[in-house]
Amino acid sequence: MEFPVGLKYTKDHEWIELSSGVAKVGVTAFAIDQLGDIVHVDLPKVGDSFEAGAAFGTIESTKTVSDLYMPVAGKVVEVNKAATDNPESLQSDPYKNGWLVKLEVKGTPTAGSLLDASAYEAFVADGSH
Amino acid sequence: MASGTEVLTTPLVAVHKSLKAKMVPFGGWLMPVSYTTVLQEHKAVREACGIFDVSHMGEVMVTGANAAAFLQHLTINDIEKLKDGSGQYSAMLHEHGGMIDDLIVYRLKADKYLLCVNASNTAKDFAWIDKQARKFSEVQVADESNLWSQLAVQGPASAKAVEALIGATDLAQFRSLQYMDIMNLKLFGKAALLARTGYTGEHGYEIYLPNEVAEKTWAALLETQPVTGIQPIGLGARDTLRLEACYLLYGNDMNDEVSPLEAGIGWATRLTKADFIGRAALVQQKEAGPKRSQFAFVMVEDGIPRSGMDLYRNGEKIGVVTSGSVLPTVGGAGGMALIARGKANLNDEVEVDIRGKRKLARLVQKPLYKAKVKG
Repeated sequence: MEFPVGLKYTKDHEWIELSSGVAKVGVTAFAIDQLGDIVHVDLPKVGDSFEAGAAFGTIESTKTVSDLYMPVAGKVVEVNKAATDNPESLQSDPYKNGWLVKLEVKGTPTAGSLLDASAYEAFVADGSH
Repeated sequence: MASGTEVLTTPLVAVHKSLKAKMVPFGGWLMPVSYTTVLQEHKAVREACGIFDVSHMGEVMVTGANAAAFLQHLTINDIEKLKDGSGQYSAMLHEHGGMIDDLIVYRLKADKYLLCVNASNTAKDFAWIDKQARKFSEVQVADESNLWSQLAVQGPASAKAVEALIGATDLAQFRSLQYMDIMNLKLFGKAALLARTGYTGEHGYEIYLPNEVAEKTWAALLETQPVTGIQPIGLGARDTLRLEACYLLYGNDMNDEVSPLEAGIGWATRLTKADFIGRAALVQQKEAGPKRSQFAFVMVEDGIPRSGMDLYRNGEKIGVVTSGSVLPTVGGAGGMALIARGKANLNDEVEVDIRGKRKLARLVQKPLYKAKVKG
């Protein structure tokens, strides 16, 4: 299972790619594997603002619905229509084309609560999540 | 038999784990939910063949000279319609008409019947059956759930897969087995039973077999893979398959408070036969009209309905989703719902409250997927 090193991760299994002011957010390959077939993704509207840790949408498999949580505070500037139109595409590509929203990050994101790739990998390997 | 909080396992648990199945607790049992993915497994059953470990299901044997009279009193369908080696869908009711469980009754002989009941209800069912049987002489009831494993083989290639288990002397009988029929067979020298039924909407079989030959029989069926395409299927796809066929799931689509008339199984309810437990309440319901009835629906707007979501029409709450999911073969999403009498009709548009958002759906003719069980 792949956990790209350039990304930061949450214990709720979202990833975030932080670059100058705009960030991409998605869900990890681990989360996708746990969920199974992804059949529906519900995302916010452009312009919606969220605090860090706030639920911003849902991802749904054949059996369960899970909330999506914001890794950082910010305003949605773009949603990935390809992901909502073809949710099953997240299974093969949860990182590159599988981003869910782009955010205008509010303030300076505190990377403190976010995990790097190796810490996240250790976290999911531990099995107590 | 499920009891307490202990999680039960079937004789095939090691096989499931070696196949790396995702295991989940279900009705007191640790069961495989999927081996590959739910959608892949669903498709495999519709197009080829699947094998399911359904050993968690309960088996109750009813024997004795008055077995038929007892079952006529206990269940809603007409036992007189059964011949040796045939079965029928039925249910047991409370006096108030609510369903204790749905079940299949097989007549093995004039004085011997097999009842197949839901895993999570086995203890409740047997306590009820045992209590009712005490009113009758010459009836013995036995909970044999611990003795039997159960495998379901379902899909267009299921006859070919099961035929690999059938000895030369049984072949003619196997090939003439009709829907809901049951026959004796020997599996690795042990007495077993083979019924032509299932819970998927496809041509299929359910095999009742002693625990000690479960693993060998599972392996023998999977050996037909090159010819039949057979693969193991978990409870996830079992649920989407049964939902498309609009087969009811106890605990979702019916429970102790829902009557068979409300749940849409009036066809199995023989109000014309002599008295049975719950009949008086059903006759009353029929005269007054049931308070609610069951509909199938498909989503018009995006979103996946789930059990327990409220249903609205013109802003008024009219009912509740009892089962909902994606519908892999039909396409889109949909399910079944219990709707208050007079509040909606077939083909009406309704709204499902999906986590606070009202999404359009349409009430449609049942079933969502037309079963091919008789072909």
